[in-house]
Amino acid sequence: MEPVMFLIVGYVVIGGLLASLGAHLLPVGGAPAAMGTATGIATGTVQIMLGAVLTGLFTAANVATFTDNILLVSLSGAVGATIMLVVVMFMANILYAFGCGVVPISGRVDVDPITKEPQAPYKTPQTDGHGVPNVVFISGTLGGFVGGFGGALMYFTLLNYAHFTAGTAAVASFSIFVANAILAAYNIRGTIEGFHDPKFKRLPKSMIASFAISLLAGIVVVLAAIGLGVI
Amino acid sequence: MTVTPVIEEEEEATAPKKGLSFKFPFDETEMALIAGIPAAIITIFTGLPAVIKGVGLLLALLWGMDSVRKTSKYGLGTGVPSIGVLGTGYGVIGALMGLAVVGYGSNAQIGFYPAVLVGAIFMAILGLVSGYFSNSEKYIAMKIPRLERAMVELGIAGTLAMLLQFSIVTGTLEFQAVVDMVMETGVIAFMFIFTAMAMFHPYNACLGPDERRERTRMVSIEISGLIWIILGFAMLVLGTSPWGVWDGLSLIVFGAIVWFVFFRKFIKACMDECWETVGTGMIKTLG
Amino acid sequence: MLVIAFLAFIACTFEDIESDIGSQSNPNSQVQLAAQVGQVNRFFNKAISGEPLSNAMYCVVAGTVVWMLLIKLEPLVPGATWKAAVVAIPIGVGVAALIHMIFSTSAHCGRVAGQKRFEQPIYLDVLYGHLLPIATHGFMTTFCITSIAYIQSNIGTLSGNPQLNHPFALPLLGFIWGITVGSIGSSTGDVHYGTEREFQDRPFGEGKRVVYHGKITRYAECGVRTQKDIAGFCAKFGGPCTGMTFGLIILFENWRTLVGMLLGGFLPNLPAFTASGDMAAIGGIVMGLLIVAAFVVGNLVFVKWVRKKCGPFVGV
Repeated sequence: MEPVMFLIVGYVVIGGLLASLGAHLLPVGGAPAAMGTATGIATGTVQIMLGAVLTGLFTAANVATFTDNILLVSLSGAVGATIMLVVVMFMANILYAFGCGVVPISGRVDVDPITKEPQAPYKTPQTDGHGVPNVVFISGTLGGFVGGFGGALMYFTLLNYAHFTAGTAAVASFSIFVANAILAAYNIRGTIEGFHDPKFKRLPKSMIASFAISLLAGIVVVLAAIGLGVI
Repeated sequence: MTVTPVIEEEEEATAPKKGLSFKFPFDETEMALIAGIPAAIITIFTGLPAVIKGVGLLLALLWGMDSVRKTSKYGLGTGVPSIGVLGTGYGVIGALMGLAVVGYGSNAQIGFYPAVLVGAIFMAILGLVSGYFSNSEKYIAMKIPRLERAMVELGIAGTLAMLLQFSIVTGTLEFQAVVDMVMETGVIAFMFIFTAMAMFHPYNACLGPDERRERTRMVSIEISGLIWIILGFAMLVLGTSPWGVWDGLSLIVFGAIVWFVFFRKFIKACMDECWETVGTGMIKTLG
Repeated sequence: MLVIAFLAFIACTFEDIESDIGSQSNPNSQVQLAAQVGQVNRFFNKAISGEPLSNAMYCVVAGTVVWMLLIKLEPLVPGATWKAAVVAIPIGVGVAALIHMIFSTSAHCGRVAGQKRFEQPIYLDVLYGHLLPIATHGFMTTFCITSIAYIQSNIGTLSGNPQLNHPFALPLLGFIWGITVGSIGSSTGDVHYGTEREFQDRPFGEGKRVVYHGKITRYAECGVRTQKDIAGFCAKFGGPCTGMTFGLIILFENWRTLVGMLLGGFLPNLPAFTASGDMAAIGGIVMGLLIVAAFVVGNLVFVKWVRKKCGPFVGV
């Protein structure tokens, strides 16, 4: 029972929990948002989460070839995912404003918690908000950061502590991330606006489920590393 | 992607099942048994020719598709692709688990690796755990009937599908060989996405109130045909099969035939069963 | 590296238009709903999956076939491996386009057959007439992504320093970028298709209300509307915007990594795992955080400007 085994399991668990948290922070509008009926990014939770984390993973893999510090690699992955989400949300706002003529408005709160701008007078009746207002933008930034951090953390753990090769580590960390993110997506039931949304209070339940799944997955990783003979 | 309001289907008044009758087309429980046991056996013996392994792969994917179909009928909220990707993610983790313990009780000469089934059993446990958390009142509470059983089936089917694909391309199930041939070269990305597609595309493509299980299964079989063709090419390129070049070629030919037959059957069935098939025409106007 | 950014721009523009020709993902739920509320339509209901997964599938197939061909062809042209790529990449992408057409056909026929009780027929001219545009646009997208993946996985060998190669293999890179380009196209370009073009006979300047759902615009400028009319419209605004998104992302990603490496004094020697390696990573992270901060501030300013310009909601 070497200490590095506990380290691997611990990091995988933390990565899984961060994945779940990131999925809850990301503003996802789903299909209604593509029609301007709901606030958030106009796609599904799973799709945007995977896209952000894979971008972060790509950057992290690049950085991992020339540095050994777990914090730096994870931060690079996090920043990579955040840049992707930030650009996406900003361009979505441009499309909403110029292509469809709608103002970015949140449908869940009356006053924007961060900039204190009133929301209700600008909202189209019979919709649930549209666009990506400021609080949703900030929530998305945080979500991308957290999710990218978790993904890159798992990648780094598998690469350097369990001594997988780069391709194996990428696929394995991606699979564990996917399992956690989809469970979180089931918790959200499809659409969420961010940390100001009442649905965000369901977060602890999903964290417990993610904890269990990541624990089992971490054990799998340790056994695989032993089986490869690299520990 | 979400599909707005789930159309409530009338539950088919199934006659009370007096045991398993095994008539074609197979019922879902029978499908699970027919798919699970042969697929598991074929996985263990890696020395078999690729065509037989391909048939095992087809059975595992059909099983996965059935469980995706059963769950998605009740409305997941996030859409059908998410559960297919979940199944494949479980499959990769389970395959890793199986490969980790592959050394025990194995016999490399005749290609006999029973220990990989430990991976399948482990994923069954993981599926049960995630199903429990997803369905129970205190946690995620999806309230889909028999979700635990569906997730168990997804876990096992995904693991068997991934392991069979590994053994088709690599020829053996030794961990280091699999890593070199499959994971480092990137073929695993292909296996990942096509396994996910084979599990969820049939139901997603036939979504609608008049969806019929036999028609949906034809799509699953034709996607498996596509997988066989490309995996056959990969086998030829990597050159790892103990049966030589005929193995890869036979898989390609078999895949092409299966795909063509079932694709034609599916399109004919769709065109016969839809409201009407017209060359062109105006649309029905409302008042 | 600029070539990669340029290719990325083109890739995502075509991805968005392709998802408008074969209506996929989120706005497709409206097309599906339309038949169910009685609006029989002549839209191509291509429901393969969400865009990230389907784009990932095409790019992975292309990547795998290209990889297989490269293994076979590269030993034939030692020293000029780009010749092998010029032959391999179009063939691989062609195979991906074939698979694209197969999946689109099965999706459309299956979905329409499942809507029998709503009297939605299969229009054969819709089916045949849209398959080739779908395949060609998909070809362009996949071609650009595969080229990007090829350049990235071989950037070292192409420029003479094999250590600069990305550690991931070509099909895996294709998978990553396929998912990314799909999720970007799905979240930005589909807004233009869904909010504007599908409901074009509704007033401009409001989100589409829930009661509008399903009642998509079926009669339009050229008679009964099909996807071919939509693509021309969305190509004017939605397509290039989506392309710019992906191009910007790729540009920022690669640029900040490169600048970080330069700041750390890293190029062209690449000693691994030393203090200069850490400095390079830190440089990249700091640049990234600056970019993020710039965009956050930009969004604050933009939202304020839009609110001032449009004003509160008028109308009923």
